[in-house]
Amino acid sequence: MNYATLNPLAAFVNPGFAWAGVALLAIPILIHILNRRRFKVVRWAAMEYLLQAMRKNRRRLKFEQWLLLAMRCAVLGLLGLALARPMGCADSTLASLAGQRTGVHVFLIDNSYSMAYQADRPGARTHLDHARNLSRTLIDRLVRGGESVAIISAAAPATAVIARGTYDLDAAKAAIGRIEQSAASTDLPGAMNLALQIARDDTSSARRRLYLFTDGTRSAWTGTAAAGIEQASAELGKVYRITHFNLGKPGQWNHAVLDVRPETPLVTTKLNFNSPFHADVKGYGPGPAAALRWKVDDSSLLGGSGEIQLEPDTPRQTQSQVAMKTAGPHVVSVALGSADRLPVDDVRRRVVDAVGRLRVLIVEGDKGLGLMAGSAAFLGIALAPANDPGQGVAGTDSYVAPEIVSDLELANKVLGDYRAVVICNVGQISPAEADRLGTFVRRGGALLWFMGEQINSRNYNDVLLPRGLLPGPLTRRMSAAGDDKGFQFDFRPSGSLHPLLGIFRGEQRSGLDTARIFTYLQIEIPAQSKVERVLDYLTGGDPSAKGTANDPAITAHSLGDGRVVWFSTTANAEWTSLPAKPAYVTLMHELLAGSVSSGDGWMNLTVGQALQTPASLKLLSAPMLLDTQRREYPLIQTTDEAGQVSHRSGPLTRPGVYTLVTGAESLPIVVNPPSDEADVRVLDDAGIKKAMGGVEVELEADQIPPEILARQSGNDFGWSLMAIVLCAAALECLLAMRFGHHRVIHARGAKG
Amino acid sequence: MAETATDYRKYLDPKVLARIASLDLRARLIVEGLMTGMHRSPYQGISVEFAQHRPYTAGDDIRHVDWKVLAKTDRIYLKQYQEETNLHLICLVDASESMAYGSVSDGAGAAWTKFDHATAIAASLSYMAIQQQDSVGLAVFDQDLKRYHKPSNSPAQWKLITRELTLEPRLKKTNTGKILDQLAEKLTHRSLIVVLSDFFDDLDSIKKGMRHLRYKKHELMVFQVLDPMEIEFPFEDVTLFKGLEEMGELLTEPRSLREGYQEQLRLFTDQMKRMCRGMRIDFERMNSADPLDVSLSGFLATRAATIK
Repeated sequence: MNYATLNPLAAFVNPGFAWAGVALLAIPILIHILNRRRFKVVRWAAMEYLLQAMRKNRRRLKFEQWLLLAMRCAVLGLLGLALARPMGCADSTLASLAGQRTGVHVFLIDNSYSMAYQADRPGARTHLDHARNLSRTLIDRLVRGGESVAIISAAAPATAVIARGTYDLDAAKAAIGRIEQSAASTDLPGAMNLALQIARDDTSSARRRLYLFTDGTRSAWTGTAAAGIEQASAELGKVYRITHFNLGKPGQWNHAVLDVRPETPLVTTKLNFNSPFHADVKGYGPGPAAALRWKVDDSSLLGGSGEIQLEPDTPRQTQSQVAMKTAGPHVVSVALGSADRLPVDDVRRRVVDAVGRLRVLIVEGDKGLGLMAGSAAFLGIALAPANDPGQGVAGTDSYVAPEIVSDLELANKVLGDYRAVVICNVGQISPAEADRLGTFVRRGGALLWFMGEQINSRNYNDVLLPRGLLPGPLTRRMSAAGDDKGFQFDFRPSGSLHPLLGIFRGEQRSGLDTARIFTYLQIEIPAQSKVERVLDYLTGGDPSAKGTANDPAITAHSLGDGRVVWFSTTANAEWTSLPAKPAYVTLMHELLAGSVSSGDGWMNLTVGQALQTPASLKLLSAPMLLDTQRREYPLIQTTDEAGQVSHRSGPLTRPGVYTLVTGAESLPIVVNPPSDEADVRVLDDAGIKKAMGGVEVELEADQIPPEILARQSGNDFGWSLMAIVLCAAALECLLAMRFGHHRVIHARGAKG
Repeated sequence: MAETATDYRKYLDPKVLARIASLDLRARLIVEGLMTGMHRSPYQGISVEFAQHRPYTAGDDIRHVDWKVLAKTDRIYLKQYQEETNLHLICLVDASESMAYGSVSDGAGAAWTKFDHATAIAASLSYMAIQQQDSVGLAVFDQDLKRYHKPSNSPAQWKLITRELTLEPRLKKTNTGKILDQLAEKLTHRSLIVVLSDFFDDLDSIKKGMRHLRYKKHELMVFQVLDPMEIEFPFEDVTLFKGLEEMGELLTEPRSLREGYQEQLRLFTDQMKRMCRGMRIDFERMNSADPLDVSLSGFLATRAATIK
């Protein structure tokens, strides 16, 4: 932090000495002037040679005189400057030599959102306020000029507010006052590493103290950061004398909404779709019962639940009445009715982009002769079945809008216009098409493969496999003998099912277990692969079926922000009897809905994250981000390798609902506090010491020990000594003037 | 005898001489002190004496054969004589204002100026010359030739000279070159002229005057008399130098000028030396703080070497 830019005089520890130095500059000048008036008189015979020497050396003499004068002025000015102690002078050796105490004091202050807990101490509403007060009190007891202060804030990301020890204790106190209450979680390992870095940089101080001001919560000390804390503490113990002030109040409690999300990623407006929403609501500490309030946008207030006693293991709360009437982003929020002392996590919001019309591109590789000959035709009907003619309404009620094209048309399509691409029985994929498909998936699109007669396994292995678009290499084609009943899926309604098949749980008559597959393409999934097996073929349990052990029938895997689903057989009846089964339509919907991303991930952020608009976002003008106070938040335009333009903000530090204005519409952007900071139950001293790996640490409560309070502040004898030096220098100047007075030469012929 | 010698030598110290008011007494003390410390008579140098024998060689004038030696030893030797001269010594003393400068003191208030030093030397030389029957004259000058006494070897001349040199220097400027010219015109006999001055004057005019004297076949000995302060320039504090002989004023810090001043003085002295050497004139720089025997013995040794 560059204090010097704020005010030139604020750049000195003791600005008065700087003024004194400026005033003392006048002394050598006065002496110089007075010396020209006070002189000896000598009657001199060899005047000619003196005048000649003077003529020859006049310029040099003048230069020397001015140089001498400048040097004397500089000595006094610099002495004043040294006493004034500019901020950049981190190593005040002279002062520290004479001072009683020296060393660097590092104040590590937790300003994460749990420190906003309202403990209501006298003069300090929150824990952070109290930490500030304690820090200032400690700084007041430090020796000016001898002891320096560095400050670290521990909210993620940990920041060195003053990275090099400053001797300007007033500036240090001011910096502490400027530490803001953050809504982020605690980054104790990061803060401890910064303290280590300060110790490494400060090689001149033999005495180092580290003060930790935290609320001692479990979430900060025993969560995922525990290992990092223990490791950093061991290093800190070697270079610091550590004191921990535990500001947490015994018995403090907190209720928090940790998560809100729909059951399925796809929320639609069609088919009277009521998507269940789930909320993780927890209570830590001995708090009272609380009621939940669900809301969709500001005006859609839903009926609240009854009061529930919140515990750390309170089960997930479900709301099935959330209905999206219109397509587009909606804000679903869950708020707690109880007023706890840490309100920042009492409400959590989620933006849900309800889909009114899910555009799906179905690419057919072999359309066939008949109307329903190809897989695409089967899929098109399955995903968007026509209304019953008896209803008198043409078209479909499905939210899916399929568009069937041949593989020759794929190159002409803008894939960004679709949420999913289904490729059925396409024989070969060119590298360029594969690249486009890869980009599409990585940006959040869903890609579904259906096999068929046209498939060129070698092409698929060569082109798709390196790009991650296949779960593994296609090895061979598996076909049942002509008189055989074919292969079967290993589907057990009551067994362990992949989430994509969750809808079939307990369904005895789905037909998945009875469907026959006559031909499929075998694939080999690598051992360490993250590919999920959605459904396998049945192995030798049924003697009539000749399935191969564990051959996958349906797989799914992630690629970038999107998903790839691979189906080992056809979508029509060419290789399988599945299309004739009742489960066919549902299975196709589930595979699609389960692999299509919600598309609203970029609108749901956590404190500290930056907004990054997707390249597919339609903009009519330069986007504008408004924060919760409707103030504009700066955005920077970026361009990725593919030339796609997007916009990025800085880290968003305040929770709430922001607004992104695109020119065409205003989109809500939700920023929630982190969910890992809610557990405010306080660790005791033993818990803190254990979390720090048993390192030597002085454990204090929320008060400064009396022995530290009894310290006298400002008793730095170094300053007195320096002041004496200053007076001595001034006296030396005066004596020099006095000794340079007129003096009589006692010689005949010389007059005084 | 040793004690006596020591007693006399103390009178060669300017600090002691400064307490002796009578110049003739000063001169006697200086000369006796000087003689006591020497192994060879200083009179020999400026008197007419037998010099030496040398073996006869063919062609020599037989009038100079020493017949007595031939009779006794049966060897032919010639007697050689130094030319007998009727020496006229003229002491030319600078009495300008600059010669009144003196920093040497006996500690009790009596000061020893450059003029004191010059007159002591002039009186001593005169005393020695008169003792050996040579003629001695005196000229005292500043910007004009104020006093001039023709050379004489009468005992009354010594009294006259010492009385004349007892006068205080005049507060006048000097004009050495002009005086040398005037003196060259006045002197009718070939003379040995001893010039005692600080020579703080125009070098060209001095050169012109000396050349004039040399043209008239006079021999010159030049003594530049300087005060130790003028040589060492030891001033430290800011000083206003008021020039003698209307040379103006200068306020300066002398420490910074010391080196330059000494350089200029050395240059002048070197020029003087070169000039004198070019005209076969003996030059000697004297420090008025040095004992008188140093000055005089230097002179006499130089003189003896010149005669040989």
